Amino acid sequence: MNHAHTVQDKTAGPIELGFALVDERELASFARHDRLTRDDYLDRLGDARDCVQLPDDAEPTHFFLGSEFCEHLLPSVEAIDRAVALCERWDLSFGLVTPIACDGLFDPLRAALARLPAGSEVTVNDWGVARLVQREFPDLRPVAGRLLGKMLKDPRLPSATWARLYPNGLRAGPFRAILDGLGIGRLELDFPPFGAADMYAGIDFPVGVRAPHGYVAKGRICKLGSLAVDTPEKFSPGHQCRRECLGFSEVGARPGTNELHTSQRGNTMYYRHATGMAAAVAEAVRNGWVNRIVLSGV
Amino acid sequence: MKITAPISTPAEVEPLVRAGARELYCGVVPPDWIQRFNTSGVNRRLFGNLNGYADLESVVEKASALDADVFLVLNAQQYGEQHLDALTGIAARFRSIGGKAAIVADISLIASLAAHVPDLDIHVSSVATCRNVESARFFASLGAKRIVLPRDVTVAEIATIAKALPDLDIEAFVLNDGCVFEEGTCHTVHLPMNKGGPICIDNYQFEYRATGGGKPAERALRRLEQNDLDYKRWLWYRFGNGFSLSPNGYPWGPCGVCAMPAMHTAGVHSVKIAGREGASERKIKSVELVAQVLQRIEAGEAEQEIREFATGLRGAPGHCASGYMCYYPEMRSRAAVSEITPAAA
Repeated sequence: MNHAHTVQDKTAGPIELGFALVDERELASFARHDRLTRDDYLDRLGDARDCVQLPDDAEPTHFFLGSEFCEHLLPSVEAIDRAVALCERWDLSFGLVTPIACDGLFDPLRAALARLPAGSEVTVNDWGVARLVQREFPDLRPVAGRLLGKMLKDPRLPSATWARLYPNGLRAGPFRAILDGLGIGRLELDFPPFGAADMYAGIDFPVGVRAPHGYVAKGRICKLGSLAVDTPEKFSPGHQCRRECLGFSEVGARPGTNELHTSQRGNTMYYRHATGMAAAVAEAVRNGWVNRIVLSGV
Repeated sequence: MKITAPISTPAEVEPLVRAGARELYCGVVPPDWIQRFNTSGVNRRLFGNLNGYADLESVVEKASALDADVFLVLNAQQYGEQHLDALTGIAARFRSIGGKAAIVADISLIASLAAHVPDLDIHVSSVATCRNVESARFFASLGAKRIVLPRDVTVAEIATIAKALPDLDIEAFVLNDGCVFEEGTCHTVHLPMNKGGPICIDNYQFEYRATGGGKPAERALRRLEQNDLDYKRWLWYRFGNGFSLSPNGYPWGPCGVCAMPAMHTAGVHSVKIAGREGASERKIKSVELVAQVLQRIEAGEAEQEIREFATGLRGAPGHCASGYMCYYPEMRSRAAVSEITPAAA
């Protein structure tokens, strides 16, 4: 299947603009708005809004809820219902974001997916979840999340030469065929350190880019999620979590370096786009290689 | 249940098989690959690989003579489309000399091997982060014969997958090497130590921030700092107790030997010892350690007795009781936990 016809070209009009919210409690602050503007989205990024370059005509088209990285952060069905209703009011498309799943998450996932209106996007980051959506919820539209779009993203790499050690396989024929087979019609990707705008050229799917943070690595073991766990039980899979990551994050750097701004929230480590990276994403948008920006914090 | 062990030289084959390994896995960086692609990134590890095809043939020949199978790791997280033909060629050559399976993470390569080297078994690498039944079914539909489960799954999760898919071989980690992040979602390289090493033990200096800005309240900060101290202790265990050995020569570090009886009951096909880059002696002692437990399982000993034997093998049960040295900490004996003291650890 050739998806190129759906990819924006230079004359195709405004790009799509989404915001991805992880903490369902923050829906309350969004609910105060009768409609959402690009500034409403950008304001949520705080200082990091300066690390994003959007086309002048980009206005919100999508709103996403859920976590790519943690099975404990699947939104409640009540929050999903509320977000769906808000999106109807704002005239935005709603999408649910899902993580890599253990088997115990599949029933909660089914309950969450059952709340979505037909045609809603589901960002999948697990091949098993993609199969679930295809088989049991065929009226939903799966999007391959950035955990499935593998690429080297080490912010410590000394040079671009290192970045070429493991090139990505996003243009490989079997990859395209497998996504087609699962009914996946869109890719969401990061912009990596030492990346270039044309890294998105020739990908045979509509591409969205997360900005202004890329993720470096994510674990299942969570330091912060062990805060309330008794000492012998900490740092293991399968225990309960009080979602401490929604209240705290860590920021820092390697001493003596001038590397990308780095942070960690819960089980995931992130880098923030530098000015040149934001410009490269903007260039990719101008060239029609990227037709959606999804803004999100860490 | 079989023991799957790492090798990086032909000389390791015989001692590892004699110690109890029935399955060996290795990587190779062919010279023509480096010439063609100007990178040594044929698999997940830049080091710990065989020197070339001659070594690979020697490994397969020696293993075959000892009735052991050899698997080739082609387990980079992702490959460029320009690599697929070359990798398929390497896999076909491996199969032609008697290799049994390729360990693969990249879904394009899995599909390519299934199409072009159908006689070579495909083992889905732990790097593919396959840890639910539906995902395992997906990989089976691509042609996989075995799933190597990632670290940081519970024994109950392993059992669920193994029981749901009895036709698929399940391999689970049992010893050595403890990534902090999931291998399939860690998009970094292990830099040389003078450039930082693995990112999870690099020298990042982080400060806590409360959501919405500013420092956390003092009381919260104290709890966070105490949690950090526990985390540093866990990291020490995660990386082989400071990369050291027990007094009787066995490796420390992430371990699941006391969970082997439960894994055997669940139908796990193989237990994996990690550490291709390790020294030969470490690999041999690792296999010896696991083999002693496996022998008792095969002899039909009671699970509780085997678990007590397993936690006593290194002569320091306090480390086991800490839970921080475990792949499967939920298997620890509650009685042992209650006895733990700093001196015992």
